[in-house]
Amino acid sequence: MSLGPKEVNFNEVWGNIRETAKAVITLENVNREVWSNRFSDVYQLCVALPEPLADKLYFETKQFLENHVKNMLLSRVQFDSSKYNGEPHQGNFDLLQAYYDAWTEYSKGIGYINTLYSYLNQQHIKKQKISDTEFVYGSQSPNHQEQMEIGELGLDIWRTYMIQSLGDKLVKQILDGIKADRHGDPSITTQRAQVIHGVIHSFVQVQDYKQRSSLKLYQELFEIPMIIASGEHYRNEASKLFQTCTVSQFMEAIIVLQEEENRRAQRFLHSTSAVKLRKECEEAFVNEKLDFLYSECKDMVSQEKKKDLRNMYIILKPIPDNLKNILIQTFLDHIKNEGIETISILKGDNIHIQFVENMLKVHSKYHDLIVDVFENDPLFLSALDKACSSVINKRINEKQPCRSAELVAKYCDSLLKKAKTTETEIDSKLTASIIIFRYIEDKDIFQKFYSRMLAKRLIHEQSQSMDSEEAMINKLKQACGYEFTNKLHRMFTDISISVDQNNKFNNFLKDNDIDLGINISIKVLQAGAWPLGQAQNTPPLSIPAEFEKSISKFETFYHTSFSGRKLFWLHHLCNGELKLSYLKRIYLVTLQTFQMTILLLFEAAEKFTCKELQDNLQLSSDSFHKHVQSLIESKILLSSSSENFSDETVITLNMEYSNKRTKFRITAISQKETPQEVEHTMTAVDEDRKLYLQAAIVRILKSRKVLKHNALIQEILSQSKVMFTPSISMIKKCIESLIDKQYIERTPNSGDEYSYVA
Amino acid sequence: MDTDNDNSLDRTDDFDNGDGKPEKMFTLKKWNAVAMWSWDVECDVCAICRVQVMDACLRCQSDNKRDVLGKQDCVVVWGECNHSFHFCCMSLWVKQNNRCPLCQQEWCVQRMGK
Repeated sequence: MSLGPKEVNFNEVWGNIRETAKAVITLENVNREVWSNRFSDVYQLCVALPEPLADKLYFETKQFLENHVKNMLLSRVQFDSSKYNGEPHQGNFDLLQAYYDAWTEYSKGIGYINTLYSYLNQQHIKKQKISDTEFVYGSQSPNHQEQMEIGELGLDIWRTYMIQSLGDKLVKQILDGIKADRHGDPSITTQRAQVIHGVIHSFVQVQDYKQRSSLKLYQELFEIPMIIASGEHYRNEASKLFQTCTVSQFMEAIIVLQEEENRRAQRFLHSTSAVKLRKECEEAFVNEKLDFLYSECKDMVSQEKKKDLRNMYIILKPIPDNLKNILIQTFLDHIKNEGIETISILKGDNIHIQFVENMLKVHSKYHDLIVDVFENDPLFLSALDKACSSVINKRINEKQPCRSAELVAKYCDSLLKKAKTTETEIDSKLTASIIIFRYIEDKDIFQKFYSRMLAKRLIHEQSQSMDSEEAMINKLKQACGYEFTNKLHRMFTDISISVDQNNKFNNFLKDNDIDLGINISIKVLQAGAWPLGQAQNTPPLSIPAEFEKSISKFETFYHTSFSGRKLFWLHHLCNGELKLSYLKRIYLVTLQTFQMTILLLFEAAEKFTCKELQDNLQLSSDSFHKHVQSLIESKILLSSSSENFSDETVITLNMEYSNKRTKFRITAISQKETPQEVEHTMTAVDEDRKLYLQAAIVRILKSRKVLKHNALIQEILSQSKVMFTPSISMIKKCIESLIDKQYIERTPNSGDEYSYVA
Repeated sequence: MDTDNDNSLDRTDDFDNGDGKPEKMFTLKKWNAVAMWSWDVECDVCAICRVQVMDACLRCQSDNKRDVLGKQDCVVVWGECNHSFHFCCMSLWVKQNNRCPLCQQEWCVQRMGK
């Protein structure tokens, strides 16, 4: 058979094609040869001379398909329904099943037909199809009667004749089916479910070929009524549950039901509907019953009913955040109350330990709860943060500053001091304390206390381990940055350098054959880094000859290693070991330099008046009295008057002194923190804050040139957050004082704007 | 008070007595001293950056030099006129003007801090 175009008898060829098409669409057996012949018949018609008969073929085929579908509707699907008055459950007739069977057959058949007509589709129809762009820009009128590919045409015919006339009935029966399934009707078997699924999906498949809004039919015909019907069902269920259940049973029921509905959606519906159905379900069970759900929220939180809270979370998770607020707020309040309660009962000497450890208990308890129950939800974590921070920064008394910063610093101090704990234990406790530290707003106060305590530990060699000290400084650096720990680092370094220096000094002594007669160890600190107050304020001392040689040798040594430096001796921080050989036993006493100096004077005479001693030492009377007092209290010295000293009070050496121990220490007065010291710290902090704020204001304005008042305040607050939270009034005062000092000025045209004065 | 009861002490001291030296009532055995160093300067503020010479100069501070040891790289320099500044500040200054900012004498380094 030639492939060239030729004249053909349309009726004859079409007759053949129609016969085959009929067989194909009813899924009868068509042998291969017939199929191939029809295939070329279609081709022959499309290329026929004198003119192609494609349009005629299209028209005839359309007629044929229309007739076929109409016929199917009458004979197979609609057939009995008139007889039974539209009640499909009477008798054996089952509309859904009939439709399903017809559709299964037809949809398959039309697929084959489409293949049969592929030449027509490819060559004739594709060409006239309007392109996407044309469609979008509307160059074609929308009413244009367009020819469709045969497969599409078939589906469209199905939609026009079958679905248009049966749609509502089908939907009603489907909904009845789903309802029955919801009630656990055993008639909804897997097979039945498949029928329903097939019918529902026929609404989608029939428009699948469309490039846009292919789900429109499905949505309008079926989905909307389905959602409405489901909504009704949910509301019924909800009010039934509402009347009989407690909140916790209600929540469990919802979760089970949501699970079931999810499975149901997968079983029957198109995948896009599951989300919508779920939403409807949430609306009916959660949003509309929110008050009911929340009615026991407080009890659940306060009694920490994990299971209920978990259920509550699962249910509330998908709804918008603002609706969850009540749960979160209740949770927050609960943590806050527990926190405040645990820190309000603290008493005794070790408040700092109780404070940190109790707060940590609260924190970790609720942190675990959030992990367990609330899936580590950031909303709940931030509620925990808010609660902890408000507890930790709470001022018990408006006038007094919050003590938390001091307590945490003390806690660290107690860990880092020599004790029987192991290094790993210390380390893990310190790491934990950082959790509390991060919540502290007054980080600068913490810094002040911490650096003072660190100074004491380092100078008096009270640290358990230098590694732990360094690790802690690094932890703080991680939390607050380089600036925060700069001085702490420098202090730490001074001590490490000093160890090295002492070795070098001893070598220096050996090399130069110098014997100082004493075992000497010297710490050299850098000015400015240590919180020791003004070094100049420390009382001067006439150095006893015993020390002079050591000092001068050390200074010589020091100046060979460094240049341009001067040394200043901090005698109030020095101590030494003195051997007492005048008693029945020999004692080794550790005491401060001042106390040592006093004792050494007694080498020359048996007794002194207070005045003589004081003149010798050149100490202020205040500190002199303190030192003498400590020696008298330890009974090494005796005083002629039992009460206060006067210049004439006579001091003698106690020749009868005895002690069980041969080696002991006379505690220097006030190594403890005095209330004045605390107060002093607070005022110092206040001064530092003002400077910090002023510097920040100048920096900000220098880079911005001009800035509105509120913007400036915001900027300052965000900058100072790492150190402390300044009060607005303090910021205002700083702005005023900078205006007075002419660093900045108000802009002339606006009252609430500042500019930098260059 | 120290808890260790050093029994060996008496014996060693008896031995000391055997030397026949005159025993002093008080003997200094050990001294743990603390001293503080600062730059030996007339004015403890650097006139160029207005920061204490003991602290790093402004430029070094804002660079946040993160040397792990916290060691100060920002040293002090003295001129022949005996005025002192941060070395960093001064080395920038002399690029523009080779005179001491305080006394206008020609700048000549006398010594460097170390």
